Amino acid sequence: MSSNPLPWSTSRLEGCTLTGALSVTAEVTDGVTVVHGPAGCVQHNASLIHATLLDRDTPHLLRILSSDLDEAGVIFGGEGALASCLGEALAGDPSAVFVLSTCIVQAIGDDVGAVCRREWGVPVIPVPTSGFLGGGFQDGMAGALVALGDLAGGEGGSGGGDRGGGITLVGEKNLEHDVEENFAEVTRLLALLGERPGLRFVRGSRAAALAGLSRGRLNILREPDLGPVGEAFAARFGTPYLDSFPVGLSGSLRFLGEVAGVLGLDPSDALEEERGRQVDALADFGDLRGERIALSPPPGSGAAPFAAEVAASLGLRIADGGTPLPCPSPPPVGTAGVVRLLHRWRRAIRA
Amino acid sequence: MKQIALYGKGGIGKSTTAANLSAALAERGLSVLQIGCDPKRDSTRMLMHGSWIPTVLDQVREGREAAITTDQVVYRGFGGIRCVESGGPEPGVGCAGRGIIATFQLLERLGSLSGDVIVYDVLGDVVCGGFAMPMREGYAREVYLVTSGELMSLYAANNICKAIARLAGRVGGRCRLAGVIGNAAGQAGEEPLVRAFADRIGSRLVTFIPRDPVVQRAEINRMTVIEYAPDSPQAGVYRALAGSILENRDLVVPTPLSMDELESLALEYLPA
Repeated sequence: MSSNPLPWSTSRLEGCTLTGALSVTAEVTDGVTVVHGPAGCVQHNASLIHATLLDRDTPHLLRILSSDLDEAGVIFGGEGALASCLGEALAGDPSAVFVLSTCIVQAIGDDVGAVCRREWGVPVIPVPTSGFLGGGFQDGMAGALVALGDLAGGEGGSGGGDRGGGITLVGEKNLEHDVEENFAEVTRLLALLGERPGLRFVRGSRAAALAGLSRGRLNILREPDLGPVGEAFAARFGTPYLDSFPVGLSGSLRFLGEVAGVLGLDPSDALEEERGRQVDALADFGDLRGERIALSPPPGSGAAPFAAEVAASLGLRIADGGTPLPCPSPPPVGTAGVVRLLHRWRRAIRA
Repeated sequence: MKQIALYGKGGIGKSTTAANLSAALAERGLSVLQIGCDPKRDSTRMLMHGSWIPTVLDQVREGREAAITTDQVVYRGFGGIRCVESGGPEPGVGCAGRGIIATFQLLERLGSLSGDVIVYDVLGDVVCGGFAMPMREGYAREVYLVTSGELMSLYAANNICKAIARLAGRVGGRCRLAGVIGNAAGQAGEEPLVRAFADRIGSRLVTFIPRDPVVQRAEINRMTVIEYAPDSPQAGVYRALAGSILENRDLVVPTPLSMDELESLALEYLPA
């Protein structure tokens, strides 16, 4: 999800763990997510996600239930309400149930894990959230990714050391506008090496397919903030990881080299082809050379070096009074992302 | 209407004191409401001749909150005293503090907080905002600390002073410490120690209640001392306490002690 360009305190990335976790668990197409807490917490978060999906013209029905914790549940404990809601969830015959918890549940000390450990017949996986008490959006997302790793079994995974799987994309930002474009770009770059993504962990996936996480040869994280997730899967399944999708021109070339390095491939041809593509792409924007621009990347977003590299490669001059240009955070993915950004810059400069 | 709250360490005799105080007040012809704010729900049991009355939160637990009526939560006991127990969750689950808040909201809605005197008998320590509810705006302005001379009892009383001072400092905060009620645990030098503690926190010892076997005998017979042994010296102590509380206008914002100060104070009065 892109950061809100408004002041930091309103950034979506600083929001509730529930939103981050739901952005992952709701993508398991045959799973159900139970949010243990007041109905309002689900309403708020589901509305936010639904509105975001509507904005992308890709709305779909979210399979989310609330344990609908009320006053009595808060006072006397809500574990009964959670168990009841799990029963309701299982009536729909899901392949797995993911249990998120809200602030109040954490505050009153409900033992969500103990309820999930009962024999339910399908995996019932507690996701560490605890609403705002558990952190922000990113914490919820990372926690959900690690928790869903349970579907791949224990150490060594269900593959029992079999590395026959492919490349796993971990933690795609399901709420960002360019999620499919970014996937397509990573797919294109991997194809230059004769590879392709296997599992999308987690985007539009069935629960059973997520078991393939343990057999992957390489995990590619969406962004460096997911480093702890990569580490967790490396420790659990022995899978090496790259810490980010490719960002920028040099970043895309570096990405090819790193993937080839992990998989034992020769990247020479891929690098040559991609360099040529970048030269051609920049040539299409040669009319912008020498333009005076101003860049104001969000502080701490990592967008600054990316934007500076793109500007330098086109011979744009960063100067006071220059045309202010957008610096999205997170930065666009791959060479294609740079091209999309340059179209936006051209429109701004010519406006 | 006079609203008072009794706070103190668990097991120190708050409920016994509260019930006998209410009984003594009722003897004077006053309309008294006693509210037990403790999941143990035993505050009013001696006033009810040993009966465990249904609690406010029992109604909430059964989902009957919307249809609840006064006679389902307010029960008449000795001397016409209206008795209420908040109740609470089983140990280890839920949030008892929230239960206290819900109880107050419900009693407000029912218009039950009425009479000449309301006595709030509150669980051992102010462990969260819920248990400070009786001290909030609109409820008890007068807080009495019930303590023995045992260090941990004084420690709990001192902690409650911190809560009173904090709440009194808020805009509109009217809660004050009205005094210390000593309830003897039977150790030597106890009364002077409790008196000195009261002085040091800027308050005063209202009454020191001596140990008397009649208290236990009354409880075994499921009565207050006022009812069981009305002519006993102990009943006289409780009546004196009631008189002192009715006349008391000495309300202060306490100055809690540090732990070092508290320990030094206890050492001063420790028998050689």
